[in-house]
Amino acid sequence: MSSEPPIKRPKITENEIDKFITGIMTAEKNLQAILSDEYDKPIPFVKVFVGTARDPKELSKIIQVLNDKIPLKELSHLKRVRKKEVLLCQSQHLNVLTQETIQEYIEHNSPELKDSFQYFREIDVPLTPPKLRRQYLECNSKMWSVNFHPDKQLERLFSDSFFPEYDLKLHRTFMSLVFETAYWYLSKHTKVELQDLFVGINIAVVVDPPRRSIVAIGLDNRQGHPLQHAAMLAIDNVAKTQNGGAWDADGAKNILSGINLDLMMHLKERYRQVMFGAKQYLEKNEIREGSKSDSPYLCTGYDVYLLREPCLMCAMGLVHARAKRVFFAVDNEFMGALKSKTKLQCVESLNHHFDVFTGFL
Amino acid sequence: MVNLMHRALQLAGEALAAKEVPVGCVFTIDGEIIAESRNTVNATRNPTRHAEINCIDYVYDYCKANNIDYQIYFSNITVYVTVEPCIMCATALSNLNIREVIYGCANDRFGGKTVVDVSNYYIQSYSLTGNILANEAMALLKQFYKGVNPNAPELKVKKDKKV
Repeated sequence: MSSEPPIKRPKITENEIDKFITGIMTAEKNLQAILSDEYDKPIPFVKVFVGTARDPKELSKIIQVLNDKIPLKELSHLKRVRKKEVLLCQSQHLNVLTQETIQEYIEHNSPELKDSFQYFREIDVPLTPPKLRRQYLECNSKMWSVNFHPDKQLERLFSDSFFPEYDLKLHRTFMSLVFETAYWYLSKHTKVELQDLFVGINIAVVVDPPRRSIVAIGLDNRQGHPLQHAAMLAIDNVAKTQNGGAWDADGAKNILSGINLDLMMHLKERYRQVMFGAKQYLEKNEIREGSKSDSPYLCTGYDVYLLREPCLMCAMGLVHARAKRVFFAVDNEFMGALKSKTKLQCVESLNHHFDVFTGFL
Repeated sequence: MVNLMHRALQLAGEALAAKEVPVGCVFTIDGEIIAESRNTVNATRNPTRHAEINCIDYVYDYCKANNIDYQIYFSNITVYVTVEPCIMCATALSNLNIREVIYGCANDRFGGKTVVDVSNYYIQSYSLTGNILANEAMALLKQFYKGVNPNAPELKVKKDKKV
């Protein structure tokens, strides 16, 4: 048996890297929000009894009595009436031991309505209120009328045109800059091929959206230090623009201290429209009372662009830092904490939540 | 064990005095303290500078300076921390194969077991024990949260908002 020849990976020219990075910048595909699983799961059902009113003219009186004597409580998202039918109660409220019928249940809880219904039937209704129009239409047409208050922001997140063209271009530009940074970083260390951009390292770019300015960049150093993942370094680099920082924090502290200077020169050449530097940090005593100028605080209001989906340590670091939005390009199947392994942004009990977007490639 | 937690509580007290969230931590090998620290979030303007992260940095630097294999070194460490490690720290400790974590009070806001159980997603090496001098740890936190975080910006109240 002859041994196979070694697989030759085609050598990638700088020209091709450029084409790839330009591709990320100019593609028209909109981004995709990473939202809670609950929107994808089917809505759970519960069994209820409904009764057909003997006299439709009595309906409003019946409902008044029912709301008083047999309130819906946890099913308040459901309408009480549909045509001539009235929603009475959950099937589980009937006494199983005495084999109570719905007629007996009515007589027992609301005797004045004992002759109000012609006949009864048991149906499935949604146990929880629909959150999206899609779910609402599904519930409403099939089973029972449902109250629905659309959340406009949520509806927009689920549409594939969430970002208007101008914003999309901006996000794509910053993500292409992440790849440009990765390429620059790898070319300093090893001979780069395009495949290398997708494995091993991460890059984090922190942007102040209203000023479209890059505040800090994290260049992954996990080979050199187990905590120095790109996002953790970026958070520390943001701190350096606020008179703080913990890792190699001896240098000058100014609005540009979150970015490696060589890298900044390189990026400035290629991204002429992009600004660099944080907003001026002010100590407490420097902020005049009642003045409108506020000082930056952690990553509040900042967007974070990552090459790869962050791990749980970094994702929680970004929660602590109060990042506004997180964008990433490549899924992290084994460690990713915003899509792949879990969705930290959907843990309701945390004190801060950011929106997460992907879909750049 | 109680002595080591008392030391961690002392460090948490120092954090409180410095107007930091009062959490303290000691790293130990065979009952000997090899690193100790407290929260330095406000001083560094870096919200990830928790007591555990500071200790990890210290131990890592020590290993590097002394040519010690840090992976083996960390796997012998028992951590005493006054409050249950947060999701970030729990993941970091887990990645470093720490031997054991002993904490004071549970962390209902960020806990790496209580709020999101990190061991559901990553292989967790360490054993976790809680409720050691929990009341003392909680008392410090309560004292801190009675006041306001001096470094957080004032809440912006929207005035004259039309209804």
